[in-house]
Amino acid sequence: MKSTNSNKLLKIFLYITLFTILAPMAILILWIFVGRWPWPNLLPATYSLRAIKEIFAPYSNVFSILFSSILLSLSVAILSAIIATITARALVLYDFIGKTVIEFLTIAPILVPGAVFAMGIHIVFIKLSLADTVLGVIIIHLIYTLPYTINIMKDLTESVGKQMEVQAYVLGASPLKSFIYITFPLLTPGIMASISMAYITSFSQYFITLLIGGGTVKSFNVLMVPFIAKGDRSLSSAYALVFIISTLLVFLIIDKIIKKLPYQDNKEEI
Amino acid sequence: MNKRKLSSFLAIIMVLFLIAGCSGNKEHPNIVKDSDSNVTPKTEVFDPNMSFDKILEEAKGDTVSFYGWGGDEDRNKWLSQTVAPILKERYDITLEVVGMDIDNILAKLAGEKQAGLEEGSIDMIWINGENFYSAKENDLLFGPFAEQLPNFEKYIDTEDEEVKNDFGFTIDGYEAPYGKAQMVFINDSATTSETPKNAEEFMEYCKKYEGKVTYPALPDFTGSAFVRTLIYDVVGHEQFLNMEADKEIVKAAIEPALEYLKELNKYLWNQGKTFPATSGEVNNMFEDGELVMTMSYGPYSVATGIEKGIYNETVRTFLFDKGTVGNTNYMAIAKNSPNKAAAMVAINEIISAEIQATQFEELRSLPVVSYDKLTDAEKESFDKINIGKGVLPQDELLSKRLPEMPANIVPIIEEIWLEEIIGK
Amino acid sequence: MNKKTPYILIMPIVLLGVLFIFGVINGIVQSFGYIPAFDLTDITLDYYIEILNSPTFLDSLKTSLQISIISSILAVILGTILTAALVYTGHTEGKILQIIKLAIIIPHTIVALFLISILSQNGLIARLFYKLGWISSQGDFPLLLYTKNNFGIILGYIWKEIPFVAYFSLALMSSINKTLGEASENLGASKLKSFFYITLPLSMPAIGKAFLIILTFSFGAYDLPFLLGATMPKALPVQAHIEYIHPDLRHRPYAMAMNGLILIITWTMAGMYYLITTKKNKR
Repeated sequence: MKSTNSNKLLKIFLYITLFTILAPMAILILWIFVGRWPWPNLLPATYSLRAIKEIFAPYSNVFSILFSSILLSLSVAILSAIIATITARALVLYDFIGKTVIEFLTIAPILVPGAVFAMGIHIVFIKLSLADTVLGVIIIHLIYTLPYTINIMKDLTESVGKQMEVQAYVLGASPLKSFIYITFPLLTPGIMASISMAYITSFSQYFITLLIGGGTVKSFNVLMVPFIAKGDRSLSSAYALVFIISTLLVFLIIDKIIKKLPYQDNKEEI
Repeated sequence: MNKRKLSSFLAIIMVLFLIAGCSGNKEHPNIVKDSDSNVTPKTEVFDPNMSFDKILEEAKGDTVSFYGWGGDEDRNKWLSQTVAPILKERYDITLEVVGMDIDNILAKLAGEKQAGLEEGSIDMIWINGENFYSAKENDLLFGPFAEQLPNFEKYIDTEDEEVKNDFGFTIDGYEAPYGKAQMVFINDSATTSETPKNAEEFMEYCKKYEGKVTYPALPDFTGSAFVRTLIYDVVGHEQFLNMEADKEIVKAAIEPALEYLKELNKYLWNQGKTFPATSGEVNNMFEDGELVMTMSYGPYSVATGIEKGIYNETVRTFLFDKGTVGNTNYMAIAKNSPNKAAAMVAINEIISAEIQATQFEELRSLPVVSYDKLTDAEKESFDKINIGKGVLPQDELLSKRLPEMPANIVPIIEEIWLEEIIGK
Repeated sequence: MNKKTPYILIMPIVLLGVLFIFGVINGIVQSFGYIPAFDLTDITLDYYIEILNSPTFLDSLKTSLQISIISSILAVILGTILTAALVYTGHTEGKILQIIKLAIIIPHTIVALFLISILSQNGLIARLFYKLGWISSQGDFPLLLYTKNNFGIILGYIWKEIPFVAYFSLALMSSINKTLGEASENLGASKLKSFFYITLPLSMPAIGKAFLIILTFSFGAYDLPFLLGATMPKALPVQAHIEYIHPDLRHRPYAMAMNGLILIITWTMAGMYYLITTKKNKR
């Protein structure tokens, strides 16, 4: 690709954005070690390991809760990506009764204030024996993540779907085979994006996890939010960093796994 | 076309079946929970009036969940490292602490009540006045149980106003005291030498350090208590104890205080046009030197702040001469608690002199036990505790302690504050 | 066989959708004063009427609309530029994308912490100004947060949402660019032209959806306006939260009615969005 002026501008814009994202991160990391940082110091006056000690203290249970929380959100993310892929397929490639209703459903959860849905579904879930269970929390998180994942998958299926149809006809392959060998590799960027998006959405849920999961289902965010709400900056920063690093690690691992998939070699050719 | 309709109809039927299949589980009483929770429902059979030995027997092996605000790392540590091992060792009870705001706890209980869930997931609740009143009113709490606890009679001053009433409403044995809180003011002797003794001096103080004092916007818990303390100092506190919860009446009663607060605004941070949303933010601004004063509901928070290195050694606590509002926080049991016996045993233990002394030592929370009822050895265990720097002795705090107004007046004052004070 | 396929494919979403609708209905009845747990059983519109008549409602509504519309429009424009930047500089995966994801990961409450430590009158910029001798105390630094123009909140949302828009539409735009955009370039169209006439219009479904998501989110979310907003007027979700934590449980229908109003407004926004997009498609 030749480097044009507009490309240069885009590059500058990209780097400014990256700087605005990374600069506050430096402050976050610094805050973990701050004892006091009074006006008008540009750097902290005293440093302390209080937050680090607190995070690693056995009674804080930070890492066991983090681990189970990651597992929970990963399950949600993978399920969400699967459901999104097949729902998007149905919506894009087929005509069926109630299509508009389903299309509306795919965006609706974003349009309802959390409190209304949470209070309502809590009562439904108690009646279904789903309250205070991991399954219940997974279902709820699925409902919240699907609008993102379905929409990502739908757009992508639309853009690659027609090619896929053509190829399938030409090759005379069964729909399933053509999906696995032709469409799926084309969809992987979208599936990746879906998993990431769903993971973040699930991992960040607070109120609904608390209400539906009760004390039985522990999530990292439920543990972290009270400290942030209290305004303890060192502890908040330490928790937030664990939150961020763990999420990035999960993404990295997903990335590695997807790259190992056999048909990834095809990607460049297509 | 017909086939289409048929298949969509079939799809709907399938969905309904699946839902019905799920709701069929309702018959099972054991909502998936920790494996050690008992399957046989105890809800109907539990009688708090049976002998405490029997309660101990029934509590054995149970897991009791204690729901309360989770943002206090010291309290979390104390509960899991001091209280839980004692309960396990002495009574074979496993204490599980769950961090949850009281609003959400009550939302959860309300949902469970509405769905008719006989056995919920919450056993003990950390609660106080404003919420206790409504929770009890709406039948979310179990009781009476407090007077049935051996340690209640043994250690608690049953004639104490704060043991009988919580924010102006009778307790009737539906909660047991947990710890005492009191509004205190905090500043740094290195930056400001004065410690205002009343509302008037406080006004002078704000004038002198213009723009460097503020308080959390109501209905923040601390901000609200701070405003009530100022109101008490301006118009006295007795009249509120029996006041009807009527906006006009309350407004008329606090009129001079409203004038005072409006006048005060001129000298506050950003002229009182806006207030920080949380007490945490006000504390942060004080720590950073943006404010010269802060306030806390924890009377010994300066000591822990100095120990943690958040505050300078010169930070100190002060009160108004007429006193500041203080209240007790309590432990209650959920009406649909599956482990009421274990909850009673745990609460009984927490109000003992031994645990209260550890709470005093580790959390600097004012103890709820009555000093007069203690044995010499127990008195000694409290006396020897070093409460730390920058704080006031317990007797001074207690002698300058004013009762909370009735729970239903508090939101009225918060409403009036929002309408009349900000930016005025 | 083929006819049944879509119905099998939509089974999970239908199931979850039914649960969702059940939940919403159960929740919304509370706003009409039906909460049997608190002995509230009369269905009434009183709560809505009272809120609509309250003097602060209109101000709150204005505040919320201002926050969400300004922040979303800015975020979607800058976000689209960022998507284009990622696509045309070939950074659709790898480290740079990880940094973009960072902003999506960070909770809103932490964003508030960033903004306070950088932009408040006590923040790093104010301290820098003091060191440079431009101001002599904190009070001299302009109040950027907690103001009625909601500058801090809008900035916070933009910070979070530009990366979101980029991430949400990246997959589509890069796939379009790879197939059609580059093809049109090969056929001789200039890069700028192929972007504005081919890639951007075809990416609009994702960008538009992202806009709708951030618009409704910033209208209904509570964290940033609570932590960075002026005490008065409050954004609607903050007001709703205050009603929710009201100690009197029988006050809860007010909170739910407030949320009901938020719901109605978000659905109006969504309705308008669909009207506009379908009209475009027809043309």
